[in-house]
Amino acid sequence: MTTPLPPGIQLEKVDDRIMTLNVGPQHPGSGHMRLIIKVDGDYIVSCDPDPGYVHRGEEKMAEYRNYVQNIPHLERPVIHDSCNILYPYCLAVEELLGIEVPERAKYIRVIASELNRCVYTLYWLAIYGIFLGHSTMFMWPAGDRELFIDLLEAMSGARVTHAYLVPGGIRNDLPANFEERCLRQVDYFEKRLKEYQAIFYKNPLLISRTEGTGILSRTDAIRLGTTGSVLRASGVDFDLRKKEPYDVYENLDFETVVRKEGDSYARSYIPYLEMFESCRIIKDAIRKMPKSGSVRTKLKPNPKGGNDEVYKRVESGRGSLGYYIVSNNRPEPYRVKISVGSFRNLICMPYLLKGELLGNMPSVYWGLNYWPVEADR
Amino acid sequence: MSTAGGIIKALNSGVKHLAVRRFTLRYPEQKLKFVGDGFQFNPETGVGIAGLRGRHILYHEHCTGCQLCSVACEGIAEAIGMVKVNETWKQNKKAIMPQIDYGKCVFCGLCVDACPFYALYMTNDYELSSFTKSALIYTPAQLALKPKISQDVEIKIDDRGATHG
Ligand code: SF4
Ligand code: SF4
Repeated sequence: MTTPLPPGIQLEKVDDRIMTLNVGPQHPGSGHMRLIIKVDGDYIVSCDPDPGYVHRGEEKMAEYRNYVQNIPHLERPVIHDSCNILYPYCLAVEELLGIEVPERAKYIRVIASELNRCVYTLYWLAIYGIFLGHSTMFMWPAGDRELFIDLLEAMSGARVTHAYLVPGGIRNDLPANFEERCLRQVDYFEKRLKEYQAIFYKNPLLISRTEGTGILSRTDAIRLGTTGSVLRASGVDFDLRKKEPYDVYENLDFETVVRKEGDSYARSYIPYLEMFESCRIIKDAIRKMPKSGSVRTKLKPNPKGGNDEVYKRVESGRGSLGYYIVSNNRPEPYRVKISVGSFRNLICMPYLLKGELLGNMPSVYWGLNYWPVEADR
Repeated sequence: MSTAGGIIKALNSGVKHLAVRRFTLRYPEQKLKFVGDGFQFNPETGVGIAGLRGRHILYHEHCTGCQLCSVACEGIAEAIGMVKVNETWKQNKKAIMPQIDYGKCVFCGLCVDACPFYALYMTNDYELSSFTKSALIYTPAQLALKPKISQDVEIKIDDRGATHG
């Protein structure tokens, strides 16, 4: 005889073939999230992503702080990409308060956010390597990331969480000799980046595990509303830096990287190729930026936004990242809504994993460029 | 490319690095050099001066006890509290100065941006660990001290790769 269960608790009916696996919520990769996977032998029958373990209430918190005090906590969701998560916030607040940004500040913001994109992508790549059991690919990007962290530290004074972009420009001008140092390190990094090819991207072991797995077709990618590298890996040429250029991206020379395959390999390759483009943008921006001038428009203390609403988005390391801000004549915003790429890409999981081998789950999951903390906000 | 050939190429690419000098910073022995003397702010132009955002430094002779730094931090980390000091300064009638709790501070430097009297800056000192929580609370007297720092290592790049040295 079985003992009756306490009210509210159910036992799942056990099938002799299907087994449920909980991947997470203890850090399946980086940050807490859970994948509820049903397997039949080694094959995945269904996958149900379960985010929300690291919800911090960023949007609610933003309603109690003024436009400047919001800066430090808003960059917490992705500390590796803090310039890019602040970028749309600054653009939105600038429009709300009617602030003009000096030309030099625009270029420096682009440089900072491209450096930050490299920091994020290298960290992502390091985790991707260790996910697939390739520990050299963990060490190399984690080490080379130091080059960019060093530059950002010289610029902003912090290794991560730079709090560098502010509505109206940037916090401080570049230090002396920064341009030269930046060019030297970026040139060296490009050389290093080419070495990743033989050990990782042309490595038959990686190719055999990722090529042809988790294929997302072009129509599905658009229908599911994916963004960023996932969308571009499925053959859609969409990059906000090109399609809706903000600040000075339209003056800069770079290309959008697109691949047709839509498989895990393409999704892992695109961020890598984009790092070359980021290096190109940084070098071009250093060449084109005004050599002197103001970098910050002075704000009034406690500036008030009018009765207005504004939406701004930028291309972050994980796709389009937008802020919708409503203000009602107060120093604090009335409502802040953050729309992030990670969360939008997560919806692919059930589609991509159906029928895959369980062993391919890590490469598909991490190839989505998903950042749990950002998705939960 | 054959599978075996690809694997050999991958291995070879890794093995080459045995001969390359290591990039790792050996931290307690080596310490990174930073630009400038820490993050500072010029209230006149409204623009900061690049530098590391480490522990703060408080110039007692400039501080007026206006509490603007503490107000700025209120919505951020609530790390600054104003405390009474046993000093008499012409400009500081109330004799209050900021005290910073480094258990809470996130080193954003927005308090430095808020100080209109050139009294609060940041320094290159980042080694603040302690065994007790209370030792992380820095009084105005502690904040006035100039940090002793020896930082000399930079990233060097030559034909054989990059090193800290
Ligand atoms: S640096 Fe930021 S968190 Fe720290 S005391 Fe200043 S305002 Fe507060
Ligand atoms: S440090 Fe500056 S802002 Fe803070 S109380 Fe003193 S003068 Fe005012």
